[in-house]
Amino acid sequence: MALGLTLIFSILDIINFAHGEFYMLGGYVTYYAFAVFGVNYFLTLIFSILDIINFAHGEFYMLGGYVTYYAFAVFGVNYFLTLGLAVLVVGGAGVLAERVVFRHLRGKTLNAFIVSLGLLWVLQASAQLSFGVLDKSVPSAVSGIVRVFGLVISRERLVVIVTACALIAALYLFLKFARTGQAMRAVAQDPDAAALQGVNIEAVSALGFGVGCALAGAAGALLAPVFAVSPTMGALPVVKAFIIIIVGGMGSLPGAVLGGLLLGAVEGIGTLFMTSAAVNMLGFLVVIAILLVRPRGLLGVA
Amino acid sequence: MSRRPGLSPTLGFALLAVAGVGVPVLTRDSYYLDVATTLLMNLVLTLSLRFEMSTGQLNMAHISFMGVGAYASALLVTRGGWSFWASLVVAPLVAALVAVPVGRIALRVSGPYYFLITFAFLEVLRLFFNNFFVDYLGGPSGLVEIPRPHPLPLSGGAIGFAGKLPQYWLMYALFLVAAAVLIRLEYSRFGLVASAIRQRDLLAETLGVDIIRYKLGVFTLGSFFAGLAGVFFAHSHQVLHSSDFGLEPMVLLVVFTVIGGAQSVWGPVVGTLVLAVTSELLRELHHYEILVYGAVLMVVMLVCPEGLVSLPGRIAHALTRRREAKAGAVGAHVAP
Repeated sequence: MALGLTLIFSILDIINFAHGEFYMLGGYVTYYAFAVFGVNYFLTLIFSILDIINFAHGEFYMLGGYVTYYAFAVFGVNYFLTLGLAVLVVGGAGVLAERVVFRHLRGKTLNAFIVSLGLLWVLQASAQLSFGVLDKSVPSAVSGIVRVFGLVISRERLVVIVTACALIAALYLFLKFARTGQAMRAVAQDPDAAALQGVNIEAVSALGFGVGCALAGAAGALLAPVFAVSPTMGALPVVKAFIIIIVGGMGSLPGAVLGGLLLGAVEGIGTLFMTSAAVNMLGFLVVIAILLVRPRGLLGVA
Repeated sequence: MSRRPGLSPTLGFALLAVAGVGVPVLTRDSYYLDVATTLLMNLVLTLSLRFEMSTGQLNMAHISFMGVGAYASALLVTRGGWSFWASLVVAPLVAALVAVPVGRIALRVSGPYYFLITFAFLEVLRLFFNNFFVDYLGGPSGLVEIPRPHPLPLSGGAIGFAGKLPQYWLMYALFLVAAAVLIRLEYSRFGLVASAIRQRDLLAETLGVDIIRYKLGVFTLGSFFAGLAGVFFAHSHQVLHSSDFGLEPMVLLVVFTVIGGAQSVWGPVVGTLVLAVTSELLRELHHYEILVYGAVLMVVMLVCPEGLVSLPGRIAHALTRRREAKAGAVGAHVAP
């Protein structure tokens, strides 16, 4: 993982150096948030209900955006409190979705995928009906710029980077060392064996789904001031998250991070030479190319 | 071959054919003819999608091949000066031809990876239609001024296809061809092998089935029929837009197919019909259409995952069990 990170950073440095422009970093940084998104996506995917692909994950991200809009922009709650609130509310919604819907589809990948398409429509349409179709803008929580090693970054984006990195690290440590995190990994490996060892599968999957959705909510709250909040805001990130997960390898946390950085780099470099549509296409072509060479993704396990 | 339970294929096909003739007999209203024509087109799409699902794989790029057929035909007719009737045969073949390499790549993976990679293809093709060769494909504003199907020259004169009714008959004819082929295949050795692959592909492989070739054949044929529907779509709508072949219409096809039941060849027919009628009844609630579709999809998948076609069997099963339970109770009472 460290190797991958170094590689990406060095490539980006070269490009930056060659162009003498630092605007790229802006676009690049958002992919840190996408990386978080990818990570939690994968968590939902693998841990919570074993082989469930939740296409409606972007809608939980959207929910996080709306929580931020109402709490921070409308009622003026402190931004960091809002972030916590988004995590709680969206995490709760995730637990609810698991208990009501996805619990019954454990192990049925295709059915679960189709149901998540239905959930996507239900959540998106409900958001349109209750919040309106228009974009809502959220003011920046922090303003100003910082210089890091000669690079100019807006403070807002720095907050996004730092929080995203902290969340990834926290998640990694949680899964590695916390008892509940270990239980989650055990369930992912072999649910029957985990149950025999006394792991409460129901609770662990609900929690896993909840944590995954909570992180999507956090991503929504982090990015709300950067982009506008709208009912369809979940569509693009969910597509990006899919790319990240396939590229990085389903079931691999470092893979999700690597995939996020790789996509960020490919798109960042791509924008220098191509139109934005071609760059979007490039992401998918990378997916196809990687699946051809490594069907399980870069760091995925069979 | 032993008979399988359920509707006999000949009877079912005859019912569909008669129902299709019945529509113009009942109404000449151009709105309802339009609805019926779209319904038949959707049936070709859902039947072919289900045909691909019969090997256990959900192809999220199915609608893209409809797009390939549509754009190919529009280009052949407007740029190439071809007759509609020639392009009606050639454009679906183009879709099938594109499907071969795409299928070769996508079928290397299976399960969740398969529908993710086909979804990637869906997006790639949509972005391609939207942003590349703008002079030819129309770009974001769409490809316009596609001519209606040309008059069909016959010995006694020519049949024109300007009105709604002749277009309905054209779609009806295309539907009959697609339904005949796909239903026939379902009840043949081919359908049995597909079902074997879906149930346990490793076992099928040990019995000498070349799975990849088989799946590729299914994929290509399914794409051919999607392309056929696309040709009709291009020349009846006369306008093509990349969003016609995006995720939302694709999910709609999945909804149609799955609500009816993807296990049975009649599932997509039932699903497409039921949802078409429902959406007509709920026309007042147009704003809620997507919400309702989403909710219905979720409920059906949770309560009755084999779809609506499995309902009669399940109810009958439940009734017999209840009767047996009763008989058992009576027997217990009589016994010494």
